Amino acid sequence: MKADVAATQRTVLSVHNLRVRYDTPSGAVTPLRDFSLSIGEREVVGLIGDAGSGKSTAALAMMGLVRPPGRLISGQVLFGGQDLMEMDEDQLRALRGKDIGIIVQNPRSALNPMLRIGRQIGNVYRAHSDASAAAARDRAIEMLRLVGINDPERRVAAYAHELSGGMAQRALIAMALSSEPRLLIADEPTSGLDVTIQAQFLDQMWDSVQQTGSAILLISQDLGIIANYCDRVAVLHDGRIVEDRPARDFFAAPEHPYSRDILGLQRAAASGVARTSEPVAPGEPLVEVTALAKAFPIHGSDKVVQALQSVDLSVGPGETLGLVGESGSGKTTVGRCLLRLEEPTSGDITYRGAPISGIPKEALRAFRRKIQIVFQDPYDSLNPRWTIRRVLQEPLDLHTRLGKAEKTARIRDLLEMVGLDQALIDDKPRGLGASAMQRLNIARAIAVDPEFIVLDEPTSVLAPQAVTGLIALLRKLQKELGLSYLFISHDLTTVRFLCHRVAVMYLGQIVEVGRVGQVFEDPQHPYARALLSAHLFPDPTRRRVDQDVPESLSGEIPSPVDLPRGCYLAGRCPFAVDRCRSEAQPLVALEDGRQVRCWRVIEGDLEGAA
Amino acid sequence: MSLPADLQRAEAPPARRIDWLFWIGVSIVSVVVFLALFAPYVVPYDPTLAAHRPSMPPPALSDWPGLWWGRLTGAIEAPPHWFGTDANGFDLFSRVISAPRVDLTIALVANALSLFLGVLLGLVAGYFRNLLTEGMMRVSDVLQSFPVFISAMILVALAGRSTTNIVIALALLYTPIYIRLTRAEVMTQRVRGYVEAARALGNRESVIALRHVLPNSLAPALIQSSVTIGFAILLTAGLSFVGAGVRPPAPEWGLMISTGANQIILGEWWPSVFPGIAISLTVFGFAVLGNALERRYES
Amino acid sequence: MVARYIFRRILVGTVQILSLVIAVFFLIRLLPADPVSRFVGLNSSAEAYAQAERNLGLDRPLLTQLGHYLGVLPSEGPGLLQGSLGTSWVTGTPVLTEIGQALPITIELLTFAFAVALLISVPVGMLAALRPGGAADRGVFAYSLFAGSQPEFWWGLLFVYVFFFVLGWAPAPLGVLSPLTSPPPPVTGFITLDSLIAGRPDTLFEVLHHYMLPVATMVFILSGPIIKMVRQNMVRALGSDFVLYARCAGLPKGQVARYALRAAMAPSVTLIGILYGFMLGGAVLIESVFSLGGLGQYAIRSVLAFDYPAIQGVILVITAISLLVYLALDLIHAVIDPRVAYG
Repeated sequence: MKADVAATQRTVLSVHNLRVRYDTPSGAVTPLRDFSLSIGEREVVGLIGDAGSGKSTAALAMMGLVRPPGRLISGQVLFGGQDLMEMDEDQLRALRGKDIGIIVQNPRSALNPMLRIGRQIGNVYRAHSDASAAAARDRAIEMLRLVGINDPERRVAAYAHELSGGMAQRALIAMALSSEPRLLIADEPTSGLDVTIQAQFLDQMWDSVQQTGSAILLISQDLGIIANYCDRVAVLHDGRIVEDRPARDFFAAPEHPYSRDILGLQRAAASGVARTSEPVAPGEPLVEVTALAKAFPIHGSDKVVQALQSVDLSVGPGETLGLVGESGSGKTTVGRCLLRLEEPTSGDITYRGAPISGIPKEALRAFRRKIQIVFQDPYDSLNPRWTIRRVLQEPLDLHTRLGKAEKTARIRDLLEMVGLDQALIDDKPRGLGASAMQRLNIARAIAVDPEFIVLDEPTSVLAPQAVTGLIALLRKLQKELGLSYLFISHDLTTVRFLCHRVAVMYLGQIVEVGRVGQVFEDPQHPYARALLSAHLFPDPTRRRVDQDVPESLSGEIPSPVDLPRGCYLAGRCPFAVDRCRSEAQPLVALEDGRQVRCWRVIEGDLEGAA
Repeated sequence: MSLPADLQRAEAPPARRIDWLFWIGVSIVSVVVFLALFAPYVVPYDPTLAAHRPSMPPPALSDWPGLWWGRLTGAIEAPPHWFGTDANGFDLFSRVISAPRVDLTIALVANALSLFLGVLLGLVAGYFRNLLTEGMMRVSDVLQSFPVFISAMILVALAGRSTTNIVIALALLYTPIYIRLTRAEVMTQRVRGYVEAARALGNRESVIALRHVLPNSLAPALIQSSVTIGFAILLTAGLSFVGAGVRPPAPEWGLMISTGANQIILGEWWPSVFPGIAISLTVFGFAVLGNALERRYES
Repeated sequence: MVARYIFRRILVGTVQILSLVIAVFFLIRLLPADPVSRFVGLNSSAEAYAQAERNLGLDRPLLTQLGHYLGVLPSEGPGLLQGSLGTSWVTGTPVLTEIGQALPITIELLTFAFAVALLISVPVGMLAALRPGGAADRGVFAYSLFAGSQPEFWWGLLFVYVFFFVLGWAPAPLGVLSPLTSPPPPVTGFITLDSLIAGRPDTLFEVLHHYMLPVATMVFILSGPIIKMVRQNMVRALGSDFVLYARCAGLPKGQVARYALRAAMAPSVTLIGILYGFMLGGAVLIESVFSLGGLGQYAIRSVLAFDYPAIQGVILVITAISLLVYLALDLIHAVIDPRVAYG
């Protein structure tokens, strides 16, 4: 499976000079102009490119399909010596799903919502064999077991909406592999999945494919995935492949300027500008949170969703605290409670010693000037009908008594500070890209000189190369304005680059908090260990698939409505013993200054366990 | 299976193709509006004066150019009855082109009232959700489950057959639709990021509701307006048709069709056909316009 | 779970109907109409007026009248609770009896019209959806916009002119039977069924002949929204990820089509229910044009005569039937689409 052997292997599928065009009312769009790519037997090829660069179009085109109103204009798709472009519909149908399988990024919408998944897998299997209905059902159960679904006999009767995203993706891959295709196309199979689930899934996919002997075309925007699972990398840019090389060579020395762009953040992080070495800023904390709890009542029921429980944290002046965790861990709720966008159920929040929680709304408005927030979705955070000027003027109108000319001057300053063109001042933000919009959101947040900003996943919808720029901007602003950040993210690479300290959250609790260096290099809490080991660092020399992965978490995250009595992780933790299941865990400080919520760690039971 | 976002909307026929339809809609609506404003100055006869020989058929189509020419040159003194006369001796042409002033005014005023009321209540109900607004929604639910035509009939017949009462009845019956539409849109807008951002900046709730949420929640109600105006015209005509609308001899399309209904079995088609064509085209025009607006909003 | 769901829906529906009845009750009494002078004439003596007022029960306090109507005041006689809708002020016949005669006609008309409209519109809508933006689609789209915005009473008249007066294919628009034919003995109240039961195919044929034009008119009006809806749902289903994925998986054409069809069906069912409920009250004008004597015409008569018990009865019956139709179709929807939860 070494990359350099790939070239000598037999080719499964090759595409030559493919051109796809969409005729739309507003003109023709040609996502693929001159696309060529080949995949060898048992090879894993990674395809990367921007969102909307035509990766998914390419995936479909390799099966001779285009989403209407698109058309395959010219080129060849050769599979087993035959050109798909010249086949009739019946030949294509026989090929699809049998010789080439595909899994896609929204597994739940790709499954028929009205049929049980066992039936769907069976239908696909029967479309390519003369199996009976009963045999197809057995096959479905067998495939679900192969892809790591517990209790497949029961799961075959489930509908798509009853499955979690990870489960649905497994069902999809079970369907795709049921006829043992020679090529599996995986189109961003883990987008939308949590990191620990993502790692489970990719490992499982890797294992399954080892058994069926399929080649894989793995389409992803995530360099970590590409580096860890692919033998070869192809870069799609501007409708064609601009670089196609073995993964190690690609990550070591990308050739095309676009590739270098993509790898920017990783290289910056590697070149030592990461925060891990910087000391934590001393002094009185700026913002302090004690015993914060938040419960959301469930409509029409007396149950509650426990979003946060006994969260303690503090952020000093000029400091960045990272808050990491998977979706549903409550990290966003912490940020929202800090700004009182959400009313905490209990607990105290203070700002320079003065309380924020519990004060009346009128008094709160003055605090708004000092504490700001930047949201995840830059597009959604801007009033679509307002011009950039109006957006930036709103905070000035609310908190300053500047004259009209002064306001304009300030707005221009702000645009300059975040690196936006001042000429755009009277445009609507609609035409800006996601990255520029997020800069505008940042400009609005700093407009009235706040001291503390909550950054709620500000980079999660941006393309990799835009992330680099935005993180650099945030660091620049912090240095120039002396800002403190609470940086909420699930992307450990950016956290490492921006944060001084980091808190790891699981199911509404902080399970470990410490300096970034401490936590990242030597995580203690079993969940922190799992999270970090599941994180795919874009380094092909230490591939996950080449190593023995330590025993990790199993199963799915429990519902925050019915939380376990003891440690919340006990049901998934490989180190859990009876005491974990019965005793709630407090957050306790270790000698090295960090705090951990696990008695086994505190008593030193787990040393050397990982 | 993502696609560039601008390619994902293959639902409605492409806008370019339907443009001719849109222009038909615009022309029809313009003509109707023009007539509503200026019909009194262009009618050949008083539409409420029954001073002609009753039940005169319209001139044959082949005679129209000659009549036109005659009128232009002054060879024919009295304007011809282009659409004929009805059983009471009214000039149908004058009545048909005078009707928009009645029908369109009722529809526009009723729609404006319910639009204003519905949007306002919808904003309040969607933004500030509490016991009071939930109660208001239940009332609106009950109001909406009335069978529209029969309710309109009851309201107008029992309150008295006047234009004002028709307007009030229609406004009342159409308000719940606007409350629903606006409330639904407000509820999606109020959780949007820009609303949160405005709150984080320190805006008051009332300011957020009026300055941020309201302008972004108007579109569904405005699109519905065009449809509602069309249906209001249909309803006004329908009420007159069954005798629960405006009183004769007001020039109103439904009333004219009703007057002609008895003769149509006897083969006198014109008293009903001409006003019918007018309604048919007018309502179609508004429907097309509404559809075009909807398309623009969605893209 | 299904039983509990149905029970809850019926309970909520009953509350809804009750509030509607009370609302209508007060509404018609608050409006400035004077039913008494309508019955005794404007120039009657004060005594005659008072007498008539007493006869109609309008001299009592409003709440007593309401109590009587609802049937919660045993001293006043039977009311809603006892299954009585009161007596018509015009004819003196129980409202329930009168509605019992009128309602079957409306239901027959609607059922025929919906059956024919669906038979025509569903294939047309699906055909249009096959190639969105194609010539057929554009034509169908323009048609559905047009048909969905038409004065049905005028088209009814137009059909009468063409098919009765000019061509002579249709009977005169004077009810469901010609005046010379004696109606079949009423068993179900539905005249088509009763003709069958009585074994009179000629009567059945005659009834259907009389229904021809009103049904055609209604089909024309209904076809607009139905085509539009079917087309839209089908376009959405065909463009959905799971249909594309089914093709990716190499499923046979027929099976892919079945996947799409089922997905398009589910939302259509609910909309058809709403349309049916809407037309129960919307058939008024068509019934009036063809003098069918259905519920709509009964409503017109009652309203114009200020016959309050009859008005209340009509509203009650229409709302109750609509709610039942919604419930039935929601249940069908849940059978087609497992995502719909009974909640």
